[in-house]
Amino acid sequence: MNAFSAALWAETLKARRSKVPLMTAAGISLLPAVGGLFMIILKDPERARAMGLISVKAQLLTAGVADWPTYFEVLSQGMGIGGAVLFAIITAWVFGREFSDHTAKELLALPTPRETIVVAKFVLIALWILGLSLLVFVVGLGVGAAVSIPGWSPELAWTSFWALMAIALLNLMLLPLVALVASAGRGYLPPFGWTVLTLALAQIIVVMGWGDWFPWSVSVLFAGMAGPRAELLGVHSYAIVALTFVGGLLSTVIWWRSADQA
Amino acid sequence: MSFAIETNELSKSYGDVRALDSVNLRVKQGEIYGYLGLNGAGKTTTIRALLGMVRPSGGTVKVLGQTVSPNGGGPWSQVGHLVESPAAYPELTVRENLEIARRLHFIANKNATSRVIERLGLASCADRKAGALSTGNLQRLGLARALLHEPQLVLLDEPAKGLDPAGVVEIRELLASLAHEQGVTVFMSSHILTEVDRIATRFGIIHEGRLIEELDAQRLEELRSPRLEISAHDLRAAQKALANAGFDVRANEGTMVLTEPRAINAPDHIAALLVTVGTPPTRLAVEQETLEDYFLRLTGGER
Repeated sequence: MNAFSAALWAETLKARRSKVPLMTAAGISLLPAVGGLFMIILKDPERARAMGLISVKAQLLTAGVADWPTYFEVLSQGMGIGGAVLFAIITAWVFGREFSDHTAKELLALPTPRETIVVAKFVLIALWILGLSLLVFVVGLGVGAAVSIPGWSPELAWTSFWALMAIALLNLMLLPLVALVASAGRGYLPPFGWTVLTLALAQIIVVMGWGDWFPWSVSVLFAGMAGPRAELLGVHSYAIVALTFVGGLLSTVIWWRSADQA
Repeated sequence: MSFAIETNELSKSYGDVRALDSVNLRVKQGEIYGYLGLNGAGKTTTIRALLGMVRPSGGTVKVLGQTVSPNGGGPWSQVGHLVESPAAYPELTVRENLEIARRLHFIANKNATSRVIERLGLASCADRKAGALSTGNLQRLGLARALLHEPQLVLLDEPAKGLDPAGVVEIRELLASLAHEQGVTVFMSSHILTEVDRIATRFGIIHEGRLIEELDAQRLEELRSPRLEISAHDLRAAQKALANAGFDVRANEGTMVLTEPRAINAPDHIAALLVTVGTPPTRLAVEQETLEDYFLRLTGGER
């Protein structure tokens, strides 16, 4: 068994024995469930009026159209914001728990290099997010079929699938900095604070019109929350997200290799 | 000569706080080295530096002949450790916690986990979640992880912490057998000086970040001050009689203590003197200073 597979096995076991994967699966499943609820409301305007605030929100989000394209848009936009929060929680747990449980010191003086353990943690997070994203899509298809909305086509499903995956990937690429904050902050709270801060800034910067230059705004814009993505994002936007990923990953590895573990 | 542990002018500062100040440690292979110090003296910082967990502000660290790099490099397949309180993944069983350690140490033999579970007396709770373990069993789990890969060197921070008296004896015997039968070097810090006294073959005393004394067990034996302890029914009268005879008497919890050689070398004369004045001794014994006394004398502490 080589160092990486040993480290990945260890990280997977920790996750399997925890309730966190189940909780995140339940949390992300709310996304298609809520999307389906919006569709039901929009299909019946009388009921929509009777629902008060929820129907108002549903109207705002979807312009009042209950069909597959709108439903997939709801899923994408939910993945843009909800995914960012949920994926950050996963990262905060994977890295922060080593400090909260005081187990980090057991990972430092081993034949398995520290950077291998860090990379294994990121691979676990990536697989976890992939699983959750597939879950959203599959459950989304089921809910969409169950509420019986028009406008289905295999091409639309295919395009929407890749849009969901791209949003998940854009969110994933921001996570190394969450891991760095969890490691340097030695626990869960600092990365939660970081996530709230970056999400708030992302909203403000989108409103200011600079969202294409701010990595935490890119997935929100890609999800179409402020209009068609082609008009809002450019190559520079994706390059900045990629740079954030590489910078965050390197910083986290360097921190684990060099920082005092006092 | 190659040392299992060798530090040269090892220093570590946290801001203005000098946690370690030019520490020069030499630990020979196969030794049981007792590393003693008060709280905050620098014991744990030393162990962390030996394991590459903190970046020294100055000096070098060599472990098993290999320089410990500040980037995590070191002979870790040959080193076991228990730093501060033992920690484990609470939702994993004892066996699963050790299985993680086995894989991260690249130990191919799957029986290694079961073997160390048996050795540390953890068989009855092997399938219990670590979060439900008693403090003593958690300590045993920490020790099991330190010994799982049969290291040449073990660095143990307070190895007896949380163990019951039987557990303390058991671990002491285990460490002694590792050193004596397998030539394993044991570097242990402890507050329980009587425990270290019984097992260590060499001692280092650290105080305020400085290694103020390093000596072997035989030398310690020579350095410990002897004293004559005397008990009597009428302690006050006995104390007065001895003081009148020119002895410097210290009274301590119902016992008088004389440290002058003329008293220690002639306890029979002291007994005769006390009988003569009508306060015969009920107990008269030449005792040697304990490690705890010696330690406190050296560090300026008080009992």
